[in-house]
Amino acid sequence: MSANLTLRIPNRVEELSAVSEAVEKLGREEDWTPDVSYAVVLALEEVATNVVRHGGGEEGAAEIEIEVVSTDTEARIEVRDSGKPFNPLHDAPEPDIDAALEDRRIGGLGVHFVRVLMDEASYLREGGRNRLTMVKRRS
Amino acid sequence: MNVQAENHDGVLVAKVEGRVDSSNSQDFERQLQAAIGDDIGAVVMDLGQLAYISSAGLRVVLLVAKTLGQRNVSISLCALSDPVQSVFEISGFNRIIRIHDTQADALAAAGK
Repeated sequence: MSANLTLRIPNRVEELSAVSEAVEKLGREEDWTPDVSYAVVLALEEVATNVVRHGGGEEGAAEIEIEVVSTDTEARIEVRDSGKPFNPLHDAPEPDIDAALEDRRIGGLGVHFVRVLMDEASYLREGGRNRLTMVKRRS
Repeated sequence: MNVQAENHDGVLVAKVEGRVDSSNSQDFERQLQAAIGDDIGAVVMDLGQLAYISSAGLRVVLLVAKTLGQRNVSISLCALSDPVQSVFEISGFNRIIRIHDTQADALAAAGK
């Protein structure tokens, strides 16, 4: 089995629940396990939220393009935007997950999820666009 | 997403239902703050009906836990589904906020 999903959304966080719903539906149709589905939806939300927050420009004024390809062996996710150059895999802070409650800061958790839950993640700046690709293997 | 508050002998149980993501995390924070109020000895967040949470929602849980910590009010979580439990573990939050299997366990611990 193989299926594709391509979505173009304005750069607003309010758009992201519809993205999650569409990806969960794809996962159901493609028989993803609950773990794979949660990981893909989460990684995608975190990356897209970063694009909205750090992409620069006015919220809603630019477009984010999301592509999810599901095959028998993996789910491949690509997020493309024409905001300012931003490589979350490199530019986001590492969270201190060992800190005590009173010292714990919140930044960087989203990218930490991407690093831990995805099997591959890579960033490319190409033709004036950011392109983040992530792969989640299905077994 | 919805937060329902119940008072169990001075322990506030906040039941969180649905999905918490970056599109509704501000609403989640407002509902949680409103549920907790000022005059409470301990807080248990029952996440049994929480289907999904991302870093935006975890940020709210952390903020609330910190605020309660400064007021010497204990907070614990209970009844997490496996995927939600994983997210708390990957975040390291399971090391800074106590997590119980059931609401009964959480209430018993909070009453001590």
